Amino acid sequence: MLLSPLHDLPTRSASGFLIRYVLPRSAPPQLLGPADRRQPFQMLTMGDTIIGVGHGSPSEFCGHNDQVIMDTLSIPDVEGKVLILISCETAKELGPALINAGAASYIGFQEDLVWVMDADLASTPWADKKFAAPVMMPITNCVNTVLDGKTTGEAFAVLIENLAGNAELEEDDLIRSCINFNKKNAVLLGDPTARVRARPKITLPLPPPPIFFPIRR
Amino acid sequence: MANAEFEKLKEALRKAPTEEARKEAAEAMRRYLATHSPKSKPTLVSLGYKKPYPTAVPLEEIPNEIERNPAFFEHLREIVEEG
Repeated sequence: MLLSPLHDLPTRSASGFLIRYVLPRSAPPQLLGPADRRQPFQMLTMGDTIIGVGHGSPSEFCGHNDQVIMDTLSIPDVEGKVLILISCETAKELGPALINAGAASYIGFQEDLVWVMDADLASTPWADKKFAAPVMMPITNCVNTVLDGKTTGEAFAVLIENLAGNAELEEDDLIRSCINFNKKNAVLLGDPTARVRARPKITLPLPPPPIFFPIRR
Repeated sequence: MANAEFEKLKEALRKAPTEEARKEAAEAMRRYLATHSPKSKPTLVSLGYKKPYPTAVPLEEIPNEIERNPAFFEHLREIVEEG
């Protein structure tokens, strides 16, 4: 399952990278934009992965327009699943609750997930190579490592190594600070040897069309 | 190598978020931003929920946000400490 809200600048930026680099490989259901709501999320339990972008707090994870779609008191069937929550702070309470509910493995962040993005590229966020890519490509690579059928421990190592490499190369102090901040706060919980069925490596030959959903500023 | 103005910003953010400290940090941020000449609209974003600061702040607006919002001052301090 892929969860990609698109209602504001941060969700647009993070979801844009998933749409460009992960969507073709992810199994349905894919809840994009306004479809990323609580009811379909809680009802659709098939699949072995939940990969989601969304605003978050220690105990809550949100969908489109910040509707809370999952919290520590309303966890759907996650038995044996691998979850990657591209969100803030969910590693504090929600991540452990997911593992207690039977999830095989969880990757997320224990503090804010922060980055710099180019607001002028909000309709084509995947083209933001200068500002957002140094944080978003390591996350995308981590997700794709899981979809390659490798273990979550290997995927987490990809995330940390890619972030470290980008921090080393980054010339802008604020962007480098964001990369290091996210690296420090990335968390893997559960079984690091967990893995899911490998998906074919499919990449879109061309970027997707621009996203024209209205954006909340 | 770290930009000298960024080091000054880090130093300014280490203080308690009093009104005076926030003004000083805002000035330091303005000086740091003056070392850039972006042609686009870089914006600091996060995926926080119900935070006491905005989750999207254009870089050019950061000095004003530092001045008016102690929670943002502390949020930025936590980030730049990793620089």
